[in-house]
Amino acid sequence: MRPEPALDPTARVGRAPGSVIAVLTAHKAIRSGVLWGFIFGTFVASSAFSYVSIYRTQAQRDRLETAFGSNNATSALFGPAPQLQTVAGFTVFKVSMTLIILGAVWGLLTSTRLLRGEEECGRWELLLSGRTTRRHATAQALIGLAAGVTTLWAVTSLITVVSGLPAKIEIAAGPALFFALALVASAAMFVAVGAVTSQLAATRRQAGSYAAVVLGVSYAVRMVADSGIGLRWLRWASPLGWVEELQPLTGPRPLALLPIAAFTAALAIVAVHLAGARDLGASTIPNRSSARPHLGLLSGATGLTIRLIRPIAMGWAVAIGVSALLFGLVAKSAGVTISGSSVQQVLSRLGVTGTGVDAYLGTAFLILAVLVAFVAAGQVTAARTEESVGRLDHLLVRPVSRSSWFGGRMMVAATVLVASGVIAGVFTWLGEVSQHAGVSFTTMVAAGLNIVPPAVCILGIGALTLGAWPRATSVVVYGVLGWSLLVEIVGGIGALSHWVFDTSVFHQMATAPARPPQWTTGGVLVAIGVVSGVIGTLAFKLRDLSGE
Amino acid sequence: MGQNAIRTQGLSKRYGSLDALTDLDLEIDEGEIVGYLGPNGSGKTTTIRLLLGLIQPTAGRGEIFGLDCQRRPVEVHQRLAYVAGEANLWPALTGLETLHLLGRVQGRVDGAYRDELIERFELDPSKKVRAYSKGNRQKVILIAALMTRSDLLVLDEPTSGLDPLMEQAFRRCVHEAKGNGQTIFLSSHIMSEVEALCDRVGILRDGRLVEMGTLAEMRHLSALTVEATFDGSIPDLTRVSGVSSVQVDGRVIRCQVRGSIEPLLKVLAASGVSELLSHEPSLEELFLALYGGDGTPESAATGAT
Repeated sequence: MRPEPALDPTARVGRAPGSVIAVLTAHKAIRSGVLWGFIFGTFVASSAFSYVSIYRTQAQRDRLETAFGSNNATSALFGPAPQLQTVAGFTVFKVSMTLIILGAVWGLLTSTRLLRGEEECGRWELLLSGRTTRRHATAQALIGLAAGVTTLWAVTSLITVVSGLPAKIEIAAGPALFFALALVASAAMFVAVGAVTSQLAATRRQAGSYAAVVLGVSYAVRMVADSGIGLRWLRWASPLGWVEELQPLTGPRPLALLPIAAFTAALAIVAVHLAGARDLGASTIPNRSSARPHLGLLSGATGLTIRLIRPIAMGWAVAIGVSALLFGLVAKSAGVTISGSSVQQVLSRLGVTGTGVDAYLGTAFLILAVLVAFVAAGQVTAARTEESVGRLDHLLVRPVSRSSWFGGRMMVAATVLVASGVIAGVFTWLGEVSQHAGVSFTTMVAAGLNIVPPAVCILGIGALTLGAWPRATSVVVYGVLGWSLLVEIVGGIGALSHWVFDTSVFHQMATAPARPPQWTTGGVLVAIGVVSGVIGTLAFKLRDLSGE
Repeated sequence: MGQNAIRTQGLSKRYGSLDALTDLDLEIDEGEIVGYLGPNGSGKTTTIRLLLGLIQPTAGRGEIFGLDCQRRPVEVHQRLAYVAGEANLWPALTGLETLHLLGRVQGRVDGAYRDELIERFELDPSKKVRAYSKGNRQKVILIAALMTRSDLLVLDEPTSGLDPLMEQAFRRCVHEAKGNGQTIFLSSHIMSEVEALCDRVGILRDGRLVEMGTLAEMRHLSALTVEATFDGSIPDLTRVSGVSSVQVDGRVIRCQVRGSIEPLLKVLAASGVSELLSHEPSLEELFLALYGGDGTPESAATGAT
């Protein structure tokens, strides 16, 4: 018998060759799972502790329950809010929908990155040249991804269980573990969704887009089911609805785990089957390899930028438009519920003043501002990708100055942000005017434009980082965005000093239409963005181009 | 002599504690084809990226047609075309869209020549880049560079991924470019390509240019190979001045000769040679001699600068 090669690490530790893929995938998924588990757990803990420090008396808690407990608008957006007079009930309401969606996004991004992404960049081919098959390799990768989800659950569980120990919170270990399971259930399902779309699509971006559509439809169906119009049964038509049916901490229903497990397992099996039924590098859905030339925009670097970002910008425009329309549609009923209730106190901590519809729309535009900020962050990281993979070289070795490419790219991004703000305003108006909520078109467009400055500020900070410290671009830009979002979420409960609040770019924004837009403050944010962008452009001009 | 197409003075680049390129002094005249050789990590791509202004030198300067590469990159780029070893292009664009874009950005394109190149390289320009093989993507950036008929072509492993037929097509294009008076700076691992195309060759080692000259000028780096067949008894060549690596195979002797061949010829003439063959070292042999045959620098060559 021929001896195993001495340098084969799998031979050295006696690991089966096929499991190498599981280990490699798990290594990456677990690292990400630890980070996000920490974020999940911290969010849960901060919500629980904030509740007990703010709503100290039973009377305060009862008022909260009265305001939100049967509010169809908040139920549609964030899910039902049972038992708000308890720490457990409030924590579930506060964190569930946010973390369920974040978990789903994490799942689909991780899955498409480690499956289609690895295949797209050629590493998958190297692995498949070993002693394995496409189906076996995909199954192994799914085991690795499962390890990542398990890690996400373990870290979330650990922090949730520990934060439930103090007497004033008192959430037992068993319910806490089940709560953590509910929070990561969407991650497991969308890992499987991403695994299937990775077989269907030819590129990682396409695979991610298909999975995002599934998520969007799931959220929309759940939203209708929770809007109090007698369609609660629709929850069973949405994976996110199944997660809601688990009802952790407030009335656990473990049986709802069955559809979640069945859905995840079925999709995993489908993914493995499809992987074996197609060629390496190909997609199940035929991908057009040829196309008629469209030369219109391809006359320069800026035209190329527009051509490249057009699909993603249109996707965001649809997402923002649909969200805005939905916010507008429920504005009137939500406003009636909010008016005169203690919810206004909660909203006022976020800077949302005014009454009724205005107060509700002020919160809605805060959420839209977050979406537009994500557009800004995405634009910066896309620019960085052009540089890191070497595509930018093809432009910069021609008579294109660095500043014109960089400046053009940022200008296009800024235009997309302004358009996103206008879309947010117009579509919210369309929604609310159909319900005769009574807010004028100009007010809504102004409110839409009001959410642009924080995004421009994030764009500028991203440009500065890209110019001066390119490898940290993604971390910094999403770090600023994530921090600002966290401050707004936690700050809504009122546990933060104004110093902390002031570190959030969103808190600098007047919550129009609840308050009139503060164009001076907005101007300052834009100025910070522009100055950062200019410094970033200069730094970019002076530094070496750098790869990944 | 015309203006230098490329000129560097003490050009250096350091990454942390690593000297990627040290004191590069290089002069390439207009109309020359210069090969640039060296193993992986020897500083070839670093040199090219410095000349293109994509990275900043730690010391020294580079000029292209008398224009400073760092201070006037846009003007420099108007006069050159570059082919990278890795063709990372925009996957959603077709080949034709890519060529159109790169031509418009460059500012000048010989449209008829572009179409001819598409035919010569047998490229289907209607395909999306994501559907191209590595070789086809390489063809796209080769055509994009050649179709501009720029004064200077900077080629970094330009035939990476091309099949032998396409490599021949590439060589024809380079000869045509030289015929048109274009200057070509060719970094390559393919010795036969460099040997066939280049007027001069530069060899890098550990970030330093250790040899620069024509092939004839570089013969001293390696020995002459001599093969002699004898009718009578075989002489002892091991003590002959300049002779090494003596191998006897029946009535045939093979050996290497450094320096003057005269002492060997005297011995052979006195020993009844029936057949005598000799050949000069190829570029590959010169390169291997410089690097000790296994890619590691040979101490014997350290005197070269």
